[in-house]
Amino acid sequence: MKKILSILLLAAAAIPLYAYVNDALSFAHEAALPFVKEGFSVREDAWGGDLGVKDQQAVSSQLFKGNDYVFCLGTDIAKAVLTVHLYDASGKLAESKSWRNGRFAFARISPAKTGTYYAIVSVEKSPVERSGWALVYAYK
Amino acid sequence: MTKNISLILALLCLATSASAQPIPDSIDLSKFPAQAVDDVVVPVPSEIFAVLDKLGSPNWRGELRGSLGKNTGNRAQVALLLGTVIAEGFIAVEAEDAGRVQEIGREVLVLAEAINVRKAVIKRSKSITEKADAKEWKSVRSEFDGALQDVRGAMRELGDDELAQLVSIGGWLRGTEVLTSIVSKHYSPDGAELLFQPHLLDYFMGKLDGLKNTRLGKDDLVVKTRKTIAAIRPLIGRDDGTKISADAVQRINKMTAETVAAIASKEP
Repeated sequence: MKKILSILLLAAAAIPLYAYVNDALSFAHEAALPFVKEGFSVREDAWGGDLGVKDQQAVSSQLFKGNDYVFCLGTDIAKAVLTVHLYDASGKLAESKSWRNGRFAFARISPAKTGTYYAIVSVEKSPVERSGWALVYAYK
Repeated sequence: MTKNISLILALLCLATSASAQPIPDSIDLSKFPAQAVDDVVVPVPSEIFAVLDKLGSPNWRGELRGSLGKNTGNRAQVALLLGTVIAEGFIAVEAEDAGRVQEIGREVLVLAEAINVRKAVIKRSKSITEKADAKEWKSVRSEFDGALQDVRGAMRELGDDELAQLVSIGGWLRGTEVLTSIVSKHYSPDGAELLFQPHLLDYFMGKLDGLKNTRLGKDDLVVKTRKTIAAIRPLIGRDDGTKISADAVQRINKMTAETVAAIASKEP
């Protein structure tokens, strides 16, 4: 009985987490939509999870000189403030522009060199302990 | 009253801007906790092809292979082959060859079935055929991108994460073969710079070195693939800014072409 209860509790814990990341993912894709009209192709992959306030996560990507990229971040927490910034492999800020709009955050880059770049996702403030986030990127 | 509201609004604006953190000009990546750095994101072939298009007008049709390869039933071979076939799909899209795209869409389905992930790509395969027929090339490219994700996702769900990595590596090998073929024909340092992918190769090496499935790790094709990537690594990973030479591009082309041919025919 105890075992069944534990399984049920685990299952119950897993469901909201699934919904949580999926919601953030929907917002990330929504954030990327306007760029399709600008000729960008949105990658089908996405990266995400949840972070506490002041926590950071790095997503490393191989980017190519000659392409333009825009990284689009979404969160499922309406009043959370999340940011995304792009750094090159030496740790220097490499984005041409970054901005926020409600639950979306963006960073744009035309890489000066082909190589590895790091998208740093941060939670600046949030009304909840952990905020779900998802990141997609588009290129042209 | 209006004055008070203005004051409150001004204070609110001040609070909002004050809460925005300044963006650091540089960060120390080595101090980032290892668990906070995700694996390297593997680029899709069309990200590279998009740059090649800007550098000139490659003869994409001339880059298409005559045969897509033989499915031997060996799971490692099928996974690697599936990666090369999906990469071929991106090339066929660049070549705007609807017939070839549709053939590749069907082959993706056949190979996916061989590794039990057919269900994940049925819709994609149908969509590839329809959109190629309508010559909606951008949408077809997106469907191939999606097919790659769906196949890898389905493999992970089946607990075949290691096999999913082989799909990515197969795609990278075929994409790199074509990239080096095109760059070799009209060599330029800018074109060759597209090969500067040291972290991505380290990531692939790490995945191949860390295969938990010993049978997979000892597979002839996996061993050959690992050797190829290890041989390519010093040719493209120079952090000192040295240009990748025309000779290096040709050598990489030869190595990747041989490995892709071995995958297609299962003759390591």
